[in-house]
Amino acid sequence: MISLLTLLLAMVVSAQEPSRLAVNDKKAPTDEMDLRAISDAIKRVLPSVKSATVCLELGEGSGSGVIVSADGLILTAAHVSGGVGKKITAILADGRKVSCESLGLSSESDCAMAKIIDQGSYPFVDIDRVDSSKLGDWVFSLGHSGGYDAARGVGVRIGRLVKIADRTLQSDCTLIGGDSGGPLFDLNGRLIGIHSRVGENLSVNMHVPMREFLRNWDEMKQSEFLGNGPFASKPSKGSGFLGLGTEEMAGGGLRVTQIGRESPAEASGIKVGDMLLKMDDLQISDKASMQNYLKTKAAGDLVRLVFKRDGKDREIVLRLAEKSSP
Amino acid sequence: MIMKSVFFTTVCVFFVSLLQGYETLSSEQRLNGEMMQRAVAKAQQALQESSAVCYDGRNEVGYATVMSADGLLLAKWSELRDVKHLIIRIGAQKYDKVALLQHDPTWDVVLLKVEAQGLKPVVFASNSKVELGSWVVANGATTRMRRRPMMGIISAESRRIPLEGGAVLGVELTEQKGILIVGKIAEKSGAYLAGLRTGDRLISVMGKELKKRVDLLDLMEDRQVGERVEIVFARKGKIIRAEVVLQSRTETYGLQKNRNDEMSGEISIRRSGFPRVLQHDIGGSNRTVGGPLLDLDGQCLGMNIARANRAESFAIPLEELKEIFERLKAVSEKP
Repeated sequence: MISLLTLLLAMVVSAQEPSRLAVNDKKAPTDEMDLRAISDAIKRVLPSVKSATVCLELGEGSGSGVIVSADGLILTAAHVSGGVGKKITAILADGRKVSCESLGLSSESDCAMAKIIDQGSYPFVDIDRVDSSKLGDWVFSLGHSGGYDAARGVGVRIGRLVKIADRTLQSDCTLIGGDSGGPLFDLNGRLIGIHSRVGENLSVNMHVPMREFLRNWDEMKQSEFLGNGPFASKPSKGSGFLGLGTEEMAGGGLRVTQIGRESPAEASGIKVGDMLLKMDDLQISDKASMQNYLKTKAAGDLVRLVFKRDGKDREIVLRLAEKSSP
Repeated sequence: MIMKSVFFTTVCVFFVSLLQGYETLSSEQRLNGEMMQRAVAKAQQALQESSAVCYDGRNEVGYATVMSADGLLLAKWSELRDVKHLIIRIGAQKYDKVALLQHDPTWDVVLLKVEAQGLKPVVFASNSKVELGSWVVANGATTRMRRRPMMGIISAESRRIPLEGGAVLGVELTEQKGILIVGKIAEKSGAYLAGLRTGDRLISVMGKELKKRVDLLDLMEDRQVGERVEIVFARKGKIIRAEVVLQSRTETYGLQKNRNDEMSGEISIRRSGFPRVLQHDIGGSNRTVGGPLLDLDGQCLGMNIARANRAESFAIPLEELKEIFERLKAVSEKP
């Protein structure tokens, strides 16, 4: 029974694997037919992959990203999202703006995830999960170079895979600022990489391969900050922001007196009047003990709060935001 | 090594070195490698016959598009206007005498004439409606005998490219008791060519009397390159009327490069202010424009007019190109 199931699964998987274009296995296209096979393949998948490629705006900058699930999971570059729990605005191909939040990232290889918060069903692309690309394969890149431009639309550029390393793909699809975080596709329209960086030479364009995303998938989805750079730097200790005002009560405990607007505390549902008892495993006895504990935490860290409301103990977990500049 | 600015991209030569030890695709197999050229034989043939190479003495300064059998060519005006000794090569034939007949300041196109018969003008495609992702071919590096094709695809929607920095007369003005005196005047600016000089009093532009510097700025808003505006100025008590052809700010004062421009090598100074362009991803520099943009059949889709940055090149669509050609030709034939 189990083996039959495995077999069936294997059949399903192989049925899903699109066939590889013959022109990919030629050293170089030899005639117009070969070239047209490449451009026809791109044209076939362009409408769908274009609609899933988004422009990401955060702070003063913009980058690109690509949606990989109907509920709005986005893959991008770590140096675009810049951290965990950041507010991002995504601009869809049709110009619609939706709110996003960055999830986890790998700061060593430049991969990152974000999630569209607005409920909806979004256009998305398929990921090449089986690492099927080979050196010399024809690929194409999409990106919102220089920011979103409704009249221009998303830019598309062609090239070949010129180098495949463990954590990097190199292609001659020319990239420029604003493309970062955007998708690289094979001729079947499957996502194979995310744009990361360029060299001075036009043929030096680097992408993070899907295998690196898949390797870190679960951690990134759980909003973990992986590695120690260089593509994103971990928020320093003490940079975490909770957004609570309290007063010490006679007989111990802290009473919540204020909730900061748009703070993690507000989002968690904690209310004025709640009595704080514990933060993680620390008994909160006074303001100083809470503040000292928060100094050991950074923006993006999770904190568990135990508090009393209406005579009952309750517990919530919230993620610290980044303190605005002092 | 990582830099971050308005747009996110990192220029990171350091990481390139980490990739050593992995197999790479040979340069001849890459997008614009030697082996690719076989597949675009028709387009190469068209470039060989119907594109021209422009030289200033021995230096290549651009390409041109052959428009008639008797030697009429179109090229990019701003790249050729200051050339001292313009020489043209078509196929293997060299032409020492080149006449710059007419130019269109809006499109930045010049009509050239060489003494030739029996040239093969470009063959136009039926229209410039080419789908995103379609192959295109343009001039790349050239030898004396052979035009080399470069390849790419249509990369974005056809559209108008708004003029960056606006259009200018090319003068700095100083206010003196309600009148405006011409200070610095940009070399080869529209105002200079119209005869305006430092020390003149600028009285009116487009029929509007000027009292403050801001009056001129207001008038210049929304003006386009190539627009002709009437000016009235005074010199030694004499009132002089003249017509100024407006130029782009970038041509007059140079590009204000942003970070994307900094990573783009040599780009066209006049890269905006075009009523409509096709966008493609064929590489090159400010000296690789002016030649035809071809499809795989070697048919002409337009003429390359600007290398805008590392990832974007612009071409004038064939419909507009034909109109420009007929218009410039008609003007040049007027007695």
